[in-house]
Amino acid sequence: MKKDNNILLTLKGITKYFGTHKALDNINLDVKKGEKVVIVGPSGSGKSTLLRAVNLLEKVEKGHIFFEKKEVGYRFKKGKRLLDSPKNISFLRSEIGMVFQHFNLFPHMTALQNVIEAPVTVKKMPKEKAVKIAEEVLAKVGLSDKKDSHPAKLSGGQKQRVAIARALAMEPKLMLFDEPTSALDPELVGEVFNTIKALAEEGMTMIIVTHQMGFAREIADRVIFMENGIFVEQGTPEEFFSSAQKNERISGFISSIL
Amino acid sequence: MKSVKIFLFSVIFLSIGSICFSNTSDLLLKAENHIASGNFDTAIEILNTIQFPEGKNEEDTINYVKAKIRIAQIASITKDFSSAQAACRKALNADPQNSEAKELLNSIKRQQSPKYVLFFTDSIRFFPSLLKGAFMTLLLVIVTMGVSPIGGLFIALGRISRFAPVSIICWFIIWFFRGTPLLLQLFFIYYGLPALGITLSPLCAALIGLGVNYSAYLAEIIRAGILSIESGQMEAAKALGMTYSQAMKRIIIPQTYKRLIPPVGNEFIALIKDTALVSTISMVELMRSADRLFNTYFNVNVLILAAVMYLLFTTVFTFIFENLEKRVGIYEKR
Repeated sequence: MKKDNNILLTLKGITKYFGTHKALDNINLDVKKGEKVVIVGPSGSGKSTLLRAVNLLEKVEKGHIFFEKKEVGYRFKKGKRLLDSPKNISFLRSEIGMVFQHFNLFPHMTALQNVIEAPVTVKKMPKEKAVKIAEEVLAKVGLSDKKDSHPAKLSGGQKQRVAIARALAMEPKLMLFDEPTSALDPELVGEVFNTIKALAEEGMTMIIVTHQMGFAREIADRVIFMENGIFVEQGTPEEFFSSAQKNERISGFISSIL
Repeated sequence: MKSVKIFLFSVIFLSIGSICFSNTSDLLLKAENHIASGNFDTAIEILNTIQFPEGKNEEDTINYVKAKIRIAQIASITKDFSSAQAACRKALNADPQNSEAKELLNSIKRQQSPKYVLFFTDSIRFFPSLLKGAFMTLLLVIVTMGVSPIGGLFIALGRISRFAPVSIICWFIIWFFRGTPLLLQLFFIYYGLPALGITLSPLCAALIGLGVNYSAYLAEIIRAGILSIESGQMEAAKALGMTYSQAMKRIIIPQTYKRLIPPVGNEFIALIKDTALVSTISMVELMRSADRLFNTYFNVNVLILAAVMYLLFTTVFTFIFENLEKRVGIYEKR
Protein backbone atom coordinates (compact mmCIF):
# COMPACT_ATOMS: atom_id res chain seq x y z
CA MET A 1 0.00 0.00 0.00
CA LYS A 2 1.46 3.29 -1.08
CA LYS A 3 1.59 6.02 1.52
CA ASP A 4 0.77 8.80 -0.90
CA ASN A 5 -1.70 11.14 0.72
CA ASN A 6 -2.35 12.77 -2.61
CA ILE A 7 -4.17 9.78 -4.09
CA LEU A 8 -7.88 10.45 -4.66
CA LEU A 9 -8.97 7.32 -6.47
CA THR A 10 -7.48 3.86 -6.59
CA LEU A 11 -8.69 1.00 -8.71
CA LYS A 12 -7.35 -2.46 -7.91
CA GLY A 13 -7.84 -5.47 -10.09
CA ILE A 14 -11.08 -4.25 -11.64
CA THR A 15 -12.51 -7.00 -13.83
CA LYS A 16 -15.80 -6.84 -15.64
CA TYR A 17 -17.49 -9.38 -17.86
CA PHE A 18 -20.25 -8.85 -20.37
CA GLY A 19 -21.38 -12.44 -20.66
CA THR A 20 -18.20 -14.27 -21.50
CA HIS A 21 -16.53 -11.18 -22.93
CA LYS A 22 -13.96 -9.64 -20.61
CA ALA A 23 -14.61 -5.90 -20.88
CA LEU A 24 -12.18 -4.90 -18.13
CA ASP A 25 -9.24 -7.13 -17.35
CA ASN A 26 -7.57 -6.60 -14.00
CA ILE A 27 -7.33 -2.82 -14.24
CA ASN A 28 -5.13 -0.99 -11.70
CA LEU A 29 -5.11 2.79 -11.57
CA ASP A 30 -4.15 5.52 -9.13
CA VAL A 31 -5.40 9.03 -9.72
CA LYS A 32 -3.79 11.82 -7.73
CA LYS A 33 -5.67 14.88 -6.57
CA GLY A 34 -5.66 17.44 -9.36
CA GLU A 35 -4.43 14.94 -11.91
CA LYS A 36 -5.89 14.85 -15.41
CA VAL A 37 -5.97 11.34 -16.80
CA VAL A 38 -6.95 10.93 -20.43
CA ILE A 39 -7.93 7.47 -21.66
CA VAL A 40 -7.84 6.80 -25.38
CA GLY A 41 -8.36 3.69 -27.41
CA PRO A 42 -10.55 2.10 -30.07
CA SER A 43 -14.25 1.70 -29.44
CA GLY A 44 -15.15 -1.40 -27.50
CA SER A 45 -11.85 -1.26 -25.64
CA GLY A 46 -13.57 -0.74 -22.28
CA LYS A 47 -12.86 2.97 -21.72
CA SER A 48 -16.47 3.96 -21.05
CA THR A 49 -17.09 0.84 -19.03
CA LEU A 50 -14.14 1.75 -16.82
CA LEU A 51 -15.51 5.25 -16.21
CA ARG A 52 -18.94 3.83 -15.45
CA ALA A 53 -17.40 1.30 -13.08
CA VAL A 54 -15.86 4.14 -11.08
CA ASN A 55 -19.22 5.65 -10.18
CA LEU A 56 -20.91 2.27 -10.03
CA LEU A 57 -23.20 2.68 -12.99
CA GLU A 58 -21.55 -0.57 -13.99
CA LYS A 59 -21.20 -3.36 -11.46
CA VAL A 60 -17.90 -5.20 -11.75
CA GLU A 61 -17.25 -8.81 -10.83
CA LYS A 62 -13.84 -8.39 -9.28
CA GLY A 63 -11.64 -5.69 -7.85
CA HIS A 64 -11.68 -2.89 -5.33
CA ILE A 65 -12.37 0.81 -5.59
CA PHE A 66 -10.87 3.21 -3.07
CA PHE A 67 -12.10 6.78 -2.98
CA GLU A 68 -10.26 9.08 -0.60
CA LYS A 69 -8.57 6.00 0.91
CA LYS A 70 -11.87 4.31 1.74
CA GLU A 71 -13.06 1.23 -0.06
CA VAL A 72 -16.36 2.00 -1.73
CA GLY A 73 -19.07 0.43 -3.80
CA TYR A 74 -19.31 -3.18 -2.67
CA ARG A 75 -20.08 -5.16 0.42
CA PHE A 76 -19.86 -8.84 1.14
CA LYS A 77 -22.72 -10.81 2.55
CA LYS A 78 -22.33 -14.54 3.18
CA GLY A 79 -19.42 -14.56 0.75
CA LYS A 80 -21.50 -12.93 -1.97
CA ARG A 81 -20.36 -9.70 -3.56
CA LEU A 82 -23.16 -7.15 -3.50
CA LEU A 83 -23.47 -3.50 -4.39
CA ASP A 84 -23.27 -1.27 -1.37
CA SER A 85 -26.45 0.22 0.10
CA PRO A 86 -28.26 2.70 -2.18
CA LYS A 87 -27.54 5.42 0.34
CA ASN A 88 -23.77 4.87 0.27
CA ILE A 89 -23.73 4.57 -3.49
CA SER A 90 -25.73 7.77 -3.87
CA PHE A 91 -23.30 9.53 -1.58
CA LEU A 92 -20.31 8.34 -3.59
CA ARG A 93 -21.92 9.39 -6.84
CA SER A 94 -22.73 12.82 -5.43
CA GLU A 95 -18.98 13.30 -4.92
CA ILE A 96 -18.12 12.25 -8.47
CA GLY A 97 -19.41 14.29 -11.40
CA MET A 98 -20.07 12.62 -14.69
CA VAL A 99 -20.51 14.10 -18.15
CA PHE A 100 -22.02 11.89 -20.82
CA GLN A 101 -21.48 11.67 -24.54
CA HIS A 102 -25.15 12.43 -25.19
CA PHE A 103 -25.42 15.10 -22.46
CA ASN A 104 -28.49 13.44 -20.91
CA LEU A 105 -29.90 16.76 -19.80
CA PHE A 106 -33.38 16.62 -18.31
CA PRO A 107 -35.52 17.92 -21.17
CA HIS A 108 -38.48 18.93 -19.00
CA MET A 109 -36.38 21.38 -17.00
CA THR A 110 -34.70 24.66 -17.90
CA ALA A 111 -30.91 24.89 -17.80
CA LEU A 112 -31.10 26.39 -14.31
CA GLN A 113 -33.51 23.72 -13.08
CA ASN A 114 -31.20 21.04 -14.47
CA VAL A 115 -28.35 22.49 -12.47
CA ILE A 116 -30.17 22.98 -9.16
CA GLU A 117 -31.98 19.63 -9.30
CA ALA A 118 -29.31 17.47 -7.68
CA PRO A 119 -28.20 19.95 -4.99
CA VAL A 120 -31.83 20.39 -3.91
CA THR A 121 -32.93 16.76 -4.21
CA VAL A 122 -29.78 14.96 -3.16
CA LYS A 123 -28.00 17.40 -0.87
CA LYS A 124 -31.25 18.90 0.47
CA MET A 125 -29.78 22.32 -0.14
CA PRO A 126 -32.16 25.28 0.27
CA LYS A 127 -33.35 26.37 -3.14
CA GLU A 128 -32.00 29.92 -2.87
CA LYS A 129 -28.51 28.65 -2.13
CA ALA A 130 -28.71 26.12 -4.97
CA VAL A 131 -29.79 28.84 -7.38
CA LYS A 132 -26.84 30.97 -6.31
CA ILE A 133 -24.40 28.12 -6.93
CA ALA A 134 -26.14 27.28 -10.20
CA GLU A 135 -25.80 30.84 -11.44
CA GLU A 136 -22.11 30.75 -10.59
CA VAL A 137 -21.43 27.51 -12.44
CA LEU A 138 -23.56 28.57 -15.41
CA ALA A 139 -21.50 31.78 -15.57
CA LYS A 140 -18.35 29.65 -15.42
CA VAL A 141 -19.43 27.68 -18.51
CA GLY A 142 -20.55 30.92 -20.17
CA LEU A 143 -24.27 30.29 -20.24
CA SER A 144 -25.75 32.79 -17.81
CA ASP A 145 -28.01 34.09 -20.55
CA LYS A 146 -29.40 30.63 -21.29
CA LYS A 147 -30.40 29.70 -17.77
CA ASP A 148 -34.13 29.82 -18.50
CA SER A 149 -33.92 27.90 -21.77
CA HIS A 150 -35.04 24.32 -22.07
CA PRO A 151 -32.47 21.90 -23.54
CA ALA A 152 -34.46 21.66 -26.79
CA LYS A 153 -33.60 25.30 -27.44
CA LEU A 154 -29.85 24.85 -26.91
CA SER A 155 -27.14 23.81 -29.35
CA GLY A 156 -25.15 20.65 -28.73
CA GLY A 157 -22.20 22.56 -27.35
CA GLN A 158 -24.42 24.58 -25.04
CA LYS A 159 -26.14 21.40 -23.86
CA GLN A 160 -22.83 19.81 -22.98
CA ARG A 161 -21.76 22.94 -21.11
CA VAL A 162 -24.99 22.88 -19.13
CA ALA A 163 -24.32 19.20 -18.40
CA ILE A 164 -20.85 20.17 -17.09
CA ALA A 165 -22.40 22.93 -14.98
CA ARG A 166 -24.94 20.44 -13.65
CA ALA A 167 -22.14 18.15 -12.50
CA LEU A 168 -20.13 21.03 -11.05
CA ALA A 169 -23.05 22.27 -8.96
CA MET A 170 -22.60 19.19 -6.79
CA GLU A 171 -19.08 20.39 -6.06
CA PRO A 172 -17.54 17.05 -6.99
CA LYS A 173 -14.06 15.93 -6.05
CA LEU A 174 -13.61 14.03 -9.28
CA MET A 175 -15.03 14.59 -12.74
CA LEU A 176 -15.54 11.82 -15.28
CA PHE A 177 -15.94 12.82 -18.93
CA ASP A 178 -17.22 10.09 -21.22
CA GLU A 179 -16.43 11.22 -24.77
CA PRO A 180 -17.82 14.68 -24.06
CA THR A 181 -17.41 15.93 -27.63
CA SER A 182 -18.16 12.82 -29.69
CA ALA A 183 -21.77 13.77 -30.31
CA LEU A 184 -20.97 17.35 -31.27
CA ASP A 185 -20.60 19.03 -34.63
CA PRO A 186 -16.88 19.82 -35.20
CA GLU A 187 -17.37 23.58 -34.86
CA LEU A 188 -18.92 23.10 -31.40
CA VAL A 189 -16.11 20.93 -30.01
CA GLY A 190 -13.91 23.91 -29.15
CA GLU A 191 -16.31 25.60 -26.74
CA VAL A 192 -16.70 22.40 -24.72
CA PHE A 193 -12.95 21.77 -24.63
CA ASN A 194 -12.31 25.31 -23.49
CA THR A 195 -14.77 24.80 -20.67
CA ILE A 196 -13.06 21.57 -19.62
CA LYS A 197 -9.65 23.21 -19.90
CA ALA A 198 -10.70 26.10 -17.68
CA LEU A 199 -11.90 23.56 -15.16
CA ALA A 200 -8.58 21.71 -15.39
CA GLU A 201 -6.70 24.91 -14.71
CA GLU A 202 -8.67 25.32 -11.50
CA GLY A 203 -7.20 22.04 -10.35
CA MET A 204 -10.16 19.70 -10.77
CA THR A 205 -9.26 16.01 -10.80
CA MET A 206 -10.49 14.45 -14.03
CA ILE A 207 -10.64 11.24 -15.96
CA ILE A 208 -11.45 11.95 -19.59
CA VAL A 209 -12.30 9.43 -22.26
CA THR A 210 -11.85 10.98 -25.68
CA HIS A 211 -10.84 10.44 -29.26
CA GLN A 212 -9.40 13.93 -29.62
CA MET A 213 -5.63 13.44 -29.57
CA GLY A 214 -4.83 17.13 -29.76
CA PHE A 215 -6.94 17.76 -26.70
CA ALA A 216 -5.38 14.81 -24.89
CA ARG A 217 -1.91 16.14 -25.55
CA GLU A 218 -2.89 19.61 -24.38
CA ILE A 219 -4.71 18.82 -21.16
CA ALA A 220 -3.44 15.47 -19.88
CA ASP A 221 -0.98 14.82 -17.10
CA ARG A 222 -1.13 11.20 -18.13
CA VAL A 223 -2.40 9.50 -21.25
CA ILE A 224 -3.52 5.86 -21.15
CA PHE A 225 -4.05 3.74 -24.23
CA MET A 226 -6.58 1.03 -23.63
CA GLU A 227 -7.47 -1.96 -25.73
CA ASN A 228 -9.41 -5.15 -25.04
CA GLY A 229 -9.95 -4.16 -21.42
CA ILE A 230 -6.31 -3.60 -20.50
CA PHE A 231 -3.97 -0.62 -20.29
CA VAL A 232 -1.57 -1.14 -23.18
CA GLU A 233 0.53 1.94 -22.67
CA GLN A 234 0.60 4.93 -20.37
CA GLY A 235 2.72 7.95 -19.65
CA THR A 236 2.94 11.73 -19.83
CA PRO A 237 1.74 13.13 -23.15
CA GLU A 238 5.34 13.56 -24.29
CA GLU A 239 6.29 10.00 -23.35
CA PHE A 240 3.07 8.65 -24.73
CA PHE A 241 3.17 10.28 -28.13
CA SER A 242 6.86 9.50 -28.64
CA SER A 243 6.52 5.87 -27.58
CA ALA A 244 3.37 5.66 -29.64
CA GLN A 245 5.49 5.82 -32.74
CA LYS A 246 7.25 2.63 -31.65
CA ASN A 247 4.04 0.83 -30.83
CA GLU A 248 2.44 -0.18 -34.08
CA ARG A 249 -1.03 -0.66 -32.59
CA ILE A 250 -1.12 2.80 -31.04
CA SER A 251 0.31 4.61 -34.02
CA GLY A 252 -2.21 2.82 -36.19
CA PHE A 253 -5.01 3.92 -33.91
CA ILE A 254 -3.79 7.52 -33.78
CA SER A 255 -3.42 7.79 -37.53
CA SER A 256 -6.89 6.31 -37.99
CA ILE A 257 -8.31 9.08 -35.82
CA LEU A 258 -6.37 12.05 -37.15
CA MET B 1 -157.31 -0.37 -40.30
CA LYS B 2 -157.06 -1.98 -36.94
CA SER B 3 -153.70 -3.43 -37.78
CA VAL B 4 -152.51 -0.02 -38.98
CA LYS B 5 -153.67 1.53 -35.72
CA ILE B 6 -151.90 -1.17 -33.76
CA PHE B 7 -148.75 -0.57 -35.80
CA LEU B 8 -148.84 3.19 -35.28
CA PHE B 9 -149.50 2.74 -31.62
CA SER B 10 -146.63 0.41 -31.17
CA VAL B 11 -144.31 2.77 -33.08
CA ILE B 12 -145.32 5.71 -30.88
CA PHE B 13 -145.05 3.56 -27.83
CA LEU B 14 -141.63 2.30 -28.74
CA SER B 15 -140.31 5.72 -29.60
CA ILE B 16 -141.66 7.21 -26.43
CA GLY B 17 -140.18 4.24 -24.62
CA SER B 18 -136.80 4.71 -26.22
CA ILE B 19 -136.78 8.35 -25.19
CA CYS B 20 -138.04 7.67 -21.72
CA PHE B 21 -136.27 4.48 -20.80
CA SER B 22 -132.96 4.39 -22.71
CA ASN B 23 -130.85 6.65 -20.52
CA THR B 24 -127.27 7.72 -21.30
CA SER B 25 -125.70 4.84 -19.38
CA ASP B 26 -127.40 2.36 -21.64
CA LEU B 27 -126.19 4.20 -24.70
CA LEU B 28 -122.63 4.14 -23.41
CA LEU B 29 -122.92 0.44 -22.77
CA LYS B 30 -124.23 -0.12 -26.27
CA ALA B 31 -121.37 1.89 -27.76
CA GLU B 32 -118.84 -0.04 -25.74
CA ASN B 33 -120.23 -3.25 -27.16
CA HIS B 34 -119.75 -1.91 -30.70
CA ILE B 35 -116.24 -0.76 -29.87
CA ALA B 36 -115.44 -4.17 -28.50
CA SER B 37 -116.57 -5.77 -31.72
CA GLY B 38 -114.72 -3.19 -33.79
CA ASN B 39 -117.66 -1.23 -35.17
CA PHE B 40 -116.16 2.19 -34.51
CA ASP B 41 -118.51 4.06 -36.89
CA THR B 42 -121.66 2.71 -35.28
CA ALA B 43 -120.19 3.36 -31.86
CA ILE B 44 -119.49 6.98 -32.74
CA GLU B 45 -123.04 7.39 -34.09
CA ILE B 46 -124.47 6.13 -30.83
CA LEU B 47 -122.07 8.21 -28.75
CA ASN B 48 -122.98 11.31 -30.72
CA THR B 49 -126.60 10.85 -29.70
CA ILE B 50 -125.64 11.56 -26.14
CA GLN B 51 -126.37 15.24 -25.79
CA PHE B 52 -125.21 17.69 -23.24
CA PRO B 53 -127.88 17.57 -20.53
CA GLU B 54 -129.80 20.83 -20.26
CA GLY B 55 -130.58 20.27 -16.61
CA LYS B 56 -127.92 19.76 -14.02
CA ASN B 57 -128.19 16.01 -14.15
CA GLU B 58 -124.87 14.87 -12.75
CA GLU B 59 -124.93 11.34 -14.06
CA ASP B 60 -125.77 12.50 -17.55
CA THR B 61 -122.97 15.06 -17.51
CA ILE B 62 -120.48 12.38 -16.51
CA ASN B 63 -121.73 10.10 -19.22
CA TYR B 64 -121.58 12.95 -21.76
CA VAL B 65 -117.96 13.57 -20.88
CA LYS B 66 -117.20 9.85 -21.06
CA ALA B 67 -118.81 9.69 -24.47
CA LYS B 68 -116.76 12.63 -25.78
CA ILE B 69 -113.55 11.10 -24.44
CA ARG B 70 -114.41 7.83 -26.10
CA ILE B 71 -115.04 9.65 -29.38
CA ALA B 72 -111.72 11.43 -29.07
CA GLN B 73 -109.88 8.18 -28.37
CA ILE B 74 -111.44 6.46 -31.38
CA ALA B 75 -110.72 9.49 -33.58
CA SER B 76 -107.12 9.66 -32.48
CA ILE B 77 -106.67 5.96 -33.24
CA THR B 78 -108.06 6.55 -36.72
CA LYS B 79 -105.79 9.64 -37.01
CA ASP B 80 -108.73 12.05 -37.23
CA PHE B 81 -106.98 14.52 -34.97
CA SER B 82 -109.29 17.51 -35.57
CA SER B 83 -112.45 15.67 -34.47
CA ALA B 84 -110.50 14.11 -31.63
CA GLN B 85 -109.45 17.54 -30.42
CA ALA B 86 -112.95 18.89 -30.83
CA ALA B 87 -114.38 16.03 -28.79
CA CYS B 88 -111.79 16.59 -26.07
CA ARG B 89 -112.61 20.28 -25.93
CA LYS B 90 -116.32 19.50 -25.57
CA ALA B 91 -115.55 17.12 -22.75
CA LEU B 92 -113.44 19.77 -21.06
CA ASN B 93 -116.17 22.37 -21.47
CA ALA B 94 -118.54 20.12 -19.60
CA ASP B 95 -115.95 19.15 -16.98
CA PRO B 96 -112.90 21.45 -16.96
CA GLN B 97 -111.18 19.40 -14.21
CA ASN B 98 -111.24 16.08 -16.07
CA SER B 99 -107.65 14.85 -16.07
CA GLU B 100 -108.27 12.07 -18.56
CA ALA B 101 -109.51 14.57 -21.12
CA LYS B 102 -106.57 16.88 -20.43
CA GLU B 103 -104.02 14.12 -20.93
CA LEU B 104 -105.77 12.95 -24.05
CA LEU B 105 -105.81 16.46 -25.48
CA ASN B 106 -102.08 16.81 -24.77
CA SER B 107 -101.26 13.51 -26.37
CA ILE B 108 -103.34 14.40 -29.44
CA LYS B 109 -101.55 17.73 -29.69
CA ARG B 110 -98.20 15.87 -29.40
CA GLN B 111 -99.13 13.57 -32.22
CA GLN B 112 -100.03 16.53 -34.40
CA SER B 113 -96.89 18.60 -33.77
CA PRO B 114 -93.77 18.22 -36.01
CA LYS B 115 -90.95 15.84 -34.95
CA TYR B 116 -88.43 18.54 -34.01
CA VAL B 117 -90.95 20.29 -31.80
CA LEU B 118 -91.66 16.96 -30.18
CA PHE B 119 -87.96 16.35 -29.58
CA PHE B 120 -87.66 19.78 -28.06
CA THR B 121 -90.62 19.39 -25.72
CA ASP B 122 -89.53 15.86 -24.80
CA SER B 123 -86.04 17.13 -24.07
CA ILE B 124 -87.44 19.65 -21.65
CA ARG B 125 -89.63 16.99 -20.12
CA PHE B 126 -86.94 14.32 -19.66
CA PHE B 127 -83.96 16.58 -19.11
CA PRO B 128 -84.27 16.91 -15.31
CA SER B 129 -84.33 13.17 -14.65
CA LEU B 130 -81.59 12.48 -17.20
CA LEU B 131 -79.52 15.27 -15.70
CA LYS B 132 -79.60 13.54 -12.33
CA GLY B 133 -78.28 10.41 -14.00
CA ALA B 134 -75.70 12.44 -15.90
CA PHE B 135 -74.37 13.87 -12.64
CA MET B 136 -73.89 10.36 -11.33
CA THR B 137 -72.08 9.39 -14.54
CA LEU B 138 -69.87 12.45 -14.18
CA LEU B 139 -69.11 11.55 -10.57
CA LEU B 140 -68.14 8.00 -11.58
CA VAL B 141 -65.96 9.30 -14.41
CA ILE B 142 -64.19 11.95 -12.34
CA VAL B 143 -63.51 9.71 -9.35
CA THR B 144 -62.22 6.92 -11.61
CA MET B 145 -60.06 9.42 -13.52
CA GLY B 146 -58.62 10.59 -10.24
CA VAL B 147 -57.98 7.17 -8.76
CA SER B 148 -56.95 4.98 -11.69
CA PRO B 149 -53.79 6.87 -12.77
CA ILE B 150 -52.47 6.60 -9.22
CA GLY B 151 -53.38 2.92 -9.01
CA GLY B 152 -51.97 2.42 -12.49
CA LEU B 153 -48.71 4.13 -11.58
CA PHE B 154 -48.16 1.89 -8.57
CA ILE B 155 -49.01 -1.26 -10.51
CA ALA B 156 -46.68 -0.13 -13.30
CA LEU B 157 -43.83 0.59 -10.88
CA GLY B 158 -44.47 -2.78 -9.22
CA ARG B 159 -44.35 -4.47 -12.58
CA ILE B 160 -40.97 -2.85 -13.40
CA SER B 161 -39.67 -3.66 -9.91
CA ARG B 162 -36.73 -6.04 -9.74
CA PHE B 163 -38.20 -7.54 -6.58
CA ALA B 164 -39.84 -10.60 -8.10
CA PRO B 165 -42.83 -11.11 -5.75
CA VAL B 166 -44.05 -7.53 -6.29
CA SER B 167 -43.57 -7.82 -10.01
CA ILE B 168 -45.48 -11.09 -10.13
CA ILE B 169 -48.37 -9.78 -8.07
CA CYS B 170 -48.67 -6.73 -10.30
CA TRP B 171 -48.47 -8.89 -13.40
CA PHE B 172 -51.28 -11.01 -11.99
CA ILE B 173 -53.48 -7.97 -11.26
CA ILE B 174 -53.07 -6.73 -14.82
CA TRP B 175 -53.59 -10.20 -16.24
CA PHE B 176 -56.79 -10.75 -14.29
CA PHE B 177 -58.49 -7.39 -14.68
CA ARG B 178 -57.61 -6.97 -18.34
CA GLY B 179 -58.49 -10.55 -19.09
CA THR B 180 -62.06 -10.59 -17.80
CA PRO B 181 -65.05 -8.47 -18.82
CA LEU B 182 -65.69 -5.37 -16.73
CA LEU B 183 -69.33 -6.46 -16.51
CA LEU B 184 -68.28 -9.71 -14.88
CA GLN B 185 -66.03 -7.88 -12.44
CA LEU B 186 -68.87 -5.57 -11.47
CA PHE B 187 -71.23 -8.51 -10.96
CA PHE B 188 -68.63 -10.25 -8.86
CA ILE B 189 -68.01 -7.21 -6.67
CA TYR B 190 -71.68 -6.37 -6.19
CA TYR B 191 -73.39 -9.76 -6.18
CA GLY B 192 -70.47 -12.07 -5.43
CA LEU B 193 -68.69 -10.38 -2.54
CA PRO B 194 -71.74 -10.48 -0.21
CA ALA B 195 -71.29 -14.27 -0.24
CA LEU B 196 -67.89 -13.64 1.35
CA GLY B 197 -69.47 -11.32 3.88
CA ILE B 198 -68.58 -8.07 2.12
CA THR B 199 -71.65 -6.08 1.14
CA LEU B 200 -71.09 -2.90 -0.78
CA SER B 201 -73.41 -0.12 -1.86
CA PRO B 202 -73.92 0.08 -5.63
CA LEU B 203 -71.87 3.29 -5.79
CA CYS B 204 -69.03 1.76 -3.81
CA ALA B 205 -69.04 -1.39 -5.91
CA ALA B 206 -69.14 0.63 -9.12
CA LEU B 207 -66.21 2.83 -8.06
CA ILE B 208 -64.12 -0.14 -6.97
CA GLY B 209 -64.89 -2.04 -10.17
CA LEU B 210 -64.16 0.86 -12.50
CA GLY B 211 -61.15 1.99 -10.43
CA VAL B 212 -59.40 -1.36 -10.38
CA ASN B 213 -60.20 -2.21 -13.98
CA TYR B 214 -58.91 1.12 -15.27
CA SER B 215 -55.86 1.01 -13.00
CA ALA B 216 -54.93 -2.28 -14.64
CA TYR B 217 -55.31 -0.83 -18.12
CA LEU B 218 -53.47 2.37 -17.30
CA ALA B 219 -50.67 0.40 -15.60
CA GLU B 220 -49.58 -1.04 -18.93
CA ILE B 221 -49.74 2.36 -20.61
CA ILE B 222 -47.77 3.99 -17.81
CA ARG B 223 -45.22 1.16 -17.82
CA ALA B 224 -44.71 1.62 -21.56
CA GLY B 225 -44.34 5.37 -20.95
CA ILE B 226 -41.68 4.85 -18.31
CA LEU B 227 -39.78 2.37 -20.46
CA SER B 228 -39.89 4.78 -23.39
CA ILE B 229 -37.74 7.34 -21.54
CA GLU B 230 -34.13 6.97 -22.67
CA SER B 231 -31.96 5.03 -20.25
CA GLY B 232 -29.50 7.96 -20.24
CA GLN B 233 -31.98 9.94 -18.15
CA MET B 234 -31.91 7.42 -15.32
CA GLU B 235 -28.13 7.16 -15.58
CA ALA B 236 -27.68 10.92 -15.45
CA ALA B 237 -29.94 11.12 -12.42
CA LYS B 238 -28.07 8.30 -10.70
CA ALA B 239 -24.69 9.80 -11.58
CA LEU B 240 -25.79 12.96 -9.76
CA GLY B 241 -26.44 10.90 -6.64
CA MET B 242 -30.18 10.46 -6.88
CA THR B 243 -31.75 7.30 -5.57
CA TYR B 244 -34.02 5.22 -7.77
CA SER B 245 -37.17 6.67 -6.27
CA GLN B 246 -35.90 10.24 -6.48
CA ALA B 247 -34.96 9.71 -10.12
CA MET B 248 -38.37 8.19 -10.87
CA LYS B 249 -40.25 10.94 -9.13
CA ARG B 250 -38.26 13.93 -10.34
CA ILE B 251 -36.85 12.87 -13.69
CA ILE B 252 -38.53 9.87 -15.32
CA ILE B 253 -42.22 10.11 -14.47
CA PRO B 254 -42.56 13.85 -15.26
CA GLN B 255 -41.19 13.14 -18.72
CA THR B 256 -43.84 10.51 -19.38
CA TYR B 257 -46.77 12.91 -18.97
CA LYS B 258 -46.74 14.18 -22.52
CA ARG B 259 -46.43 10.70 -23.94
CA LEU B 260 -49.16 9.36 -21.66
CA ILE B 261 -51.86 11.92 -22.31
CA PRO B 262 -53.01 10.62 -25.73
CA PRO B 263 -53.37 6.94 -24.75
CA VAL B 264 -54.69 7.75 -21.29
CA GLY B 265 -57.17 10.21 -22.80
CA ASN B 266 -58.29 7.42 -25.08
CA GLU B 267 -58.89 5.15 -22.11
CA PHE B 268 -60.84 7.87 -20.32
CA ILE B 269 -63.13 8.37 -23.32
CA ALA B 270 -63.79 4.64 -23.18
CA LEU B 271 -64.38 5.01 -19.44
CA ILE B 272 -67.16 7.57 -19.98
CA LYS B 273 -69.03 4.97 -22.00
CA ASP B 274 -68.07 2.06 -19.77
CA THR B 275 -69.81 3.74 -16.84
CA ALA B 276 -73.04 2.64 -18.56
CA LEU B 277 -72.18 -0.91 -17.47
CA VAL B 278 -72.71 -0.07 -13.80
CA SER B 279 -76.41 0.36 -14.55
CA THR B 280 -76.50 -3.42 -14.31
CA ILE B 281 -75.66 -3.32 -10.62
CA SER B 282 -78.57 -0.98 -9.91
CA MET B 283 -76.58 2.22 -10.08
CA VAL B 284 -78.82 4.98 -11.38
CA GLU B 285 -76.63 6.88 -13.79
CA LEU B 286 -77.28 8.34 -17.22
CA MET B 287 -77.85 5.04 -19.02
CA ARG B 288 -80.07 3.68 -16.32
CA SER B 289 -82.14 6.89 -16.16
CA ALA B 290 -82.58 6.80 -19.91
CA ASP B 291 -83.51 3.12 -19.77
CA ARG B 292 -86.12 3.75 -17.11
CA LEU B 293 -87.74 6.65 -18.97
CA PHE B 294 -87.65 4.69 -22.20
CA ASN B 295 -89.41 1.75 -20.62
CA THR B 296 -92.05 4.05 -19.13
CA TYR B 297 -92.82 6.20 -22.18
CA PHE B 298 -91.45 4.15 -25.08
CA ASN B 299 -90.12 7.41 -26.35
CA VAL B 300 -87.04 7.22 -28.58
CA ASN B 301 -86.24 10.86 -27.89
CA VAL B 302 -85.05 9.82 -24.43
CA LEU B 303 -82.35 7.68 -26.01
CA ILE B 304 -81.37 10.44 -28.41
CA LEU B 305 -81.10 12.88 -25.53
CA ALA B 306 -78.94 10.42 -23.58
CA ALA B 307 -76.69 9.96 -26.63
CA VAL B 308 -76.33 13.74 -26.90
CA MET B 309 -75.32 13.92 -23.24
CA TYR B 310 -72.70 11.18 -23.65
CA LEU B 311 -71.36 12.95 -26.73
CA LEU B 312 -71.19 16.18 -24.78
CA PHE B 313 -69.10 14.48 -22.09
CA THR B 314 -66.72 12.84 -24.54
CA THR B 315 -66.33 16.07 -26.52
CA VAL B 316 -65.54 18.14 -23.45
CA PHE B 317 -63.00 15.61 -22.19
CA THR B 318 -61.42 15.30 -25.64
CA PHE B 319 -60.83 19.05 -25.65
CA ILE B 320 -59.46 18.98 -22.13
CA PHE B 321 -56.95 16.24 -23.02
CA GLU B 322 -55.87 18.00 -26.22
CA ASN B 323 -55.26 21.18 -24.31
CA LEU B 324 -53.38 19.37 -21.58
CA GLU B 325 -51.15 17.68 -24.14
CA LYS B 326 -50.18 21.02 -25.65
CA ARG B 327 -49.42 22.53 -22.26
CA VAL B 328 -47.46 19.63 -20.83
CA GLY B 329 -45.32 19.20 -23.92
CA ILE B 330 -44.36 22.86 -24.19
CA TYR B 331 -40.71 22.19 -23.26
CA GLU B 332 -40.17 20.07 -26.36
CA LYS B 333 -40.91 23.01 -28.64
CA ARG B 334 -37.85 24.41 -30.30
